[in-house]
Amino acid sequence: MDDHDTLLTDAAARIFGDLCDKALLDAAEQGEFPAALWQTLRENGFHELGLADSGVSLAQAFSVIRLGGRHALPLPLAEIVLANRWLGDGERLASVGRVMGERVVDVPWGRSAELVLGLEAGRSGCVLVTPEPDTVTRGCNMAGEPRDAVAIPAGADTIALTEPAFEYLTLGRIAAMAGCLERVLELCLGYVNEREQFGRPIARFQAIQHSLAIAAGEVAAASRAADAAVDALDDARFELEVAAAKARVGEAAGVVAEIAHQVHGAMGFTHEHQLHHFTRRAWAWRDEYGNEAHWQRRLGRHLAALGPDRLWSFLATRG
Amino acid sequence: MLQFDRVKLPESSDALRAEVREFLAESAEHLERPNSDFTTGHDPAFSRKLGACGWIGMTWPERYGGAGRSFFDRYVVTEELLAAGAPVSAHWIADRQSGNLILRYGTEAQRQHYLPPITRGESYFSIGMSEPNSGSDLASVRTSARRVEGGWLINGTKLWSTDAHRNHFMIALVRTEPVSENRHAGLSQIIVDLKNDGAQIRPIRNIAGAEDFNEVVFEDVFVPEDRVVGEPGNGWEQVTSELAYERSGPERFLSAFRVFVELVRAAGDQPEPQLAAAIGRIGAHLMTLRRMSISVAGMLDQGKSPNVEAALVKALGNDFEKRLPEIARLAVTDLAEDDPRHRSFRQAFTDTLLLSPAFTIRGGTREILRGVIARGLGLR
Repeated sequence: MDDHDTLLTDAAARIFGDLCDKALLDAAEQGEFPAALWQTLRENGFHELGLADSGVSLAQAFSVIRLGGRHALPLPLAEIVLANRWLGDGERLASVGRVMGERVVDVPWGRSAELVLGLEAGRSGCVLVTPEPDTVTRGCNMAGEPRDAVAIPAGADTIALTEPAFEYLTLGRIAAMAGCLERVLELCLGYVNEREQFGRPIARFQAIQHSLAIAAGEVAAASRAADAAVDALDDARFELEVAAAKARVGEAAGVVAEIAHQVHGAMGFTHEHQLHHFTRRAWAWRDEYGNEAHWQRRLGRHLAALGPDRLWSFLATRG
Repeated sequence: MLQFDRVKLPESSDALRAEVREFLAESAEHLERPNSDFTTGHDPAFSRKLGACGWIGMTWPERYGGAGRSFFDRYVVTEELLAAGAPVSAHWIADRQSGNLILRYGTEAQRQHYLPPITRGESYFSIGMSEPNSGSDLASVRTSARRVEGGWLINGTKLWSTDAHRNHFMIALVRTEPVSENRHAGLSQIIVDLKNDGAQIRPIRNIAGAEDFNEVVFEDVFVPEDRVVGEPGNGWEQVTSELAYERSGPERFLSAFRVFVELVRAAGDQPEPQLAAAIGRIGAHLMTLRRMSISVAGMLDQGKSPNVEAALVKALGNDFEKRLPEIARLAVTDLAEDDPRHRSFRQAFTDTLLLSPAFTIRGGTREILRGVIARGLGLR
């Protein structure tokens, strides 16, 4: 990572850390658009990180998206960055969903978006929709993040996409999950060192230590898998690296969230505690843009087609 | 937070990998019952062929028979051998740790004496650490070496020494001074000639019916002065210094790989969705583990001591190599009994499952590793 990368990620970490407090996360979950956060992101150019002339590589943009996951950023940074990239300018609060019948569904903050891109499975283009109050049906995922449906008007414009949009958005979830899981582990480490039972911090108990050792293994695996998928952005096997990463990170999310809640005890089960903002996101993101089984099948079909004699060659990459 | 850097194998590794694959393709007579577990397949003829290729002790200096190659090159060779299920057990320990120990702590005379035959694939070493009452608590070893005229007199018992009945030497961790307040002090490493020094070696049958590991009993076994590796009393530091090398290599997550190969063979080229998912799940785990393992190799190459990261890769890798046969057995359900793929899957599955209890015990138990990781996380 060179200095420029570090400057960018340092700035993102500071801004996300300052603004994404529990009050903001709670308010966003109640449906209140985080306008001040959006304003700050715009002022700092985060919404246009994906533009060809931004001076920032796509890999770096995913580093920032990962930090967003680490702070449970209550805005769909991956969608904003990628939509503006595909639109060719960076002015808008744009979001992305997928076309189902006459609607674009699962649109993060569709209700507040200025423009929505609807992706169609198997098509390289997407439809452009400007949401109106009477065309948006509100919904949310299990983390309370808005996931709206937007009706597609007759004669809506379409644009061509040359990049693998589904895979890029999947990578957005992968990166955000990796960041999110790191934060969950940190919350665990902080909690078990503070919480005392039987006259000592529960961190001293071997049962707790071993649970967190397992969680640390999963977090490290998620992180390495996410990095590998980002590294493959320009590679012919990008889609398969995304498949491996989403499958692996999804498995890690389930294990880490389970352990995190166990070591936090009843405290972590309360709405008042911040843990759930991260664990619910990890749970929700597992199922967005294809769950583990979806991507395992995709990778598995490819490996099966290669057959037993070419299997190892596929796995034994240099990077 | 533990960091696993993005490390790429050097471009030059592609050519080496191709050479190893070509060699393996020409070694069919050594691969009749492939097994990816590094403790199976004691095949001196194969080890000598590898030695002739320059692939044993390949990171050591040329003056000791090595090839002066990088740690990454060794990584490529070892993972190719394991993935193919080649019989690597004879030279494995000598190549992985005994030779490195002698290179780092041994005298010049020891290096010249012991290293060249190892690199030729002719000289094999066993580990002499565990004892009847010392397993995970290694510092509690009681086997003693008492200084006598011209050398040392060893008394005690070493246990679980893989291939001691077949190999030439053991590096035994022994107590050369009485236990003091610092229980890590007073330990030394001594080379025992298993063929000539008079140690009694008794193979122990394992649950797979094989006799690979041994009990080695020392009753006033004399070894000459020049068998001590490094400084007497420095044994603990020496034993722990190579842990990152021992723990993070491809043998810590590839032990069950042949089951995966047979699963893919059994699945055919268009598996039904659940079978495809099982294959993809295993593939995703292996891709990630391998990259984590290579990250540690990169840290070692930079001269770092990533002991916690290595423990984490081993713990994660061992757990997965145990789970792999379990995932596979439930995924393969539709094969007819008389389908040859059924037989090859069952054989790989049975061979691997019966070895699998060892995966999370040897080289540091899962429980010990989790303790190391927890301390690395600041929990104590």
